Amino acid sequence: MSDDIKIVMFCCNWCSYGGADTAGTARMQYPPNIRVIRVMCSGRIDPQFVLKAFRDGADGVFVAGCHMGDCHYDAGNYKLDRRMRLVYKLVEDMGIGKERVYHDWISASEGEKFKNAVTMMVNRIKELGPCPLKGQLDAEA
Amino acid sequence: MADKTKVGTMWLGGCSGCHLSIADFHESLLDVLELADFEFSPVLMDTKYDEVPELDVLIVEGGIRNEENRELIEMLREKAGLVIAYGTCAAYGGIPGLGNLHTVDELTQEAYIDSPSTYNEEGIIPSEDVPALESRVRPLDQVIDVDLMIPGCPPKSDVVAQAILTLLKGETIELPTTNLCEVCTREKPPAGLAMDFIKRQFEVGKPEDDLCLIAQGLVCMGPATVSLCGAQCPSIAIPCRGCYGPTAKVNDAGAKMISAIASDYGVSEDKTVDPEQVADQLDDIVGTFYTYTLPAALVPAKMQKGGE
Repeated sequence: MSDDIKIVMFCCNWCSYGGADTAGTARMQYPPNIRVIRVMCSGRIDPQFVLKAFRDGADGVFVAGCHMGDCHYDAGNYKLDRRMRLVYKLVEDMGIGKERVYHDWISASEGEKFKNAVTMMVNRIKELGPCPLKGQLDAEA
Repeated sequence: MADKTKVGTMWLGGCSGCHLSIADFHESLLDVLELADFEFSPVLMDTKYDEVPELDVLIVEGGIRNEENRELIEMLREKAGLVIAYGTCAAYGGIPGLGNLHTVDELTQEAYIDSPSTYNEEGIIPSEDVPALESRVRPLDQVIDVDLMIPGCPPKSDVVAQAILTLLKGETIELPTTNLCEVCTREKPPAGLAMDFIKRQFEVGKPEDDLCLIAQGLVCMGPATVSLCGAQCPSIAIPCRGCYGPTAKVNDAGAKMISAIASDYGVSEDKTVDPEQVADQLDDIVGTFYTYTLPAALVPAKMQKGGE
């Protein structure tokens, strides 16, 4: 069961997606439970995306952007940072649990950090088990 | 003279406020009655649920809270040509939807036993003659097919009268696609909607005239709310609470507004403001941002541990 977990990961085009590329070209090994969605900037990520992922059956959501000060568009990641603090509170209030959401900064050269962060997140979600949201809503419908 | 359109109205999990909005049609009522007859309306006249006439248009107020609501709306859907989800409860679940943060057991316990004004020594929770609550509040369109949604808490009388007259004349109704800020007369700060702190109205006192309320530290839901009401509340210095729900392009009004507030907060000093500040100043995230739309949100109810 716990091998079936799915984590949706949003990566910004300029840093984190590059970090994923670096991890890939260096053939680093990390668990296959992650689905990466590329966006132009982490500032593009709306809390709706996170909730939609859970609604459609994700067990965890990982948002990654450039390090502070490195944003390609100057300050998109600062806005995301503030937004995520509210998202943590929201998912906690909705009973999903803030442990299922995580955001971190990964630069294009940090393949190692990408691997470690993904592994950490997959382990964390495996421990929590599948998110009950989709099952509960489907059962009621 | 051609036959008049047969109109019915119904109330489900609402407060009847939306029916008052119909009663407030004033002179427009005459125009409506030229074209339509009210044939079925438990609020206005004596009706029997086993003698419901065939209806052309059914106007439904309130969401689906209990088994009776569901049974009645399924029966009425069969009788009606067009169904209008009328008011925010029918369209998005409305304020009763905040009950989705609790289990049915918690709600009945509070209502029948724990609430301070209740005298119930034997702790009886009625189960006969009272329809059982469903697991959560649902907006109408999650239960039956809905042809039109007119949100509002309650919808403004002239908006409804206009919509119904347009419909009765066989014309197409177009709801606005812009947000409240488009029609709000308050001045937007030239440098964007920067807010430096978040306060509740009683902490601010009387806000400055003519300046955007968000820039003054109030959480005004205008940016994520459809402009159907004409920004009545902001015009008298009351922040919008989002009672008309979002525009059609938004899936989840609360999340959209969270996005807006978090981005606006300290936007002029993006790089130095403590990112935790905005979350620290907002205690009741769901109550603030999902006051009217929780049942229609992407996560429509609080998950119980283990998924029940």
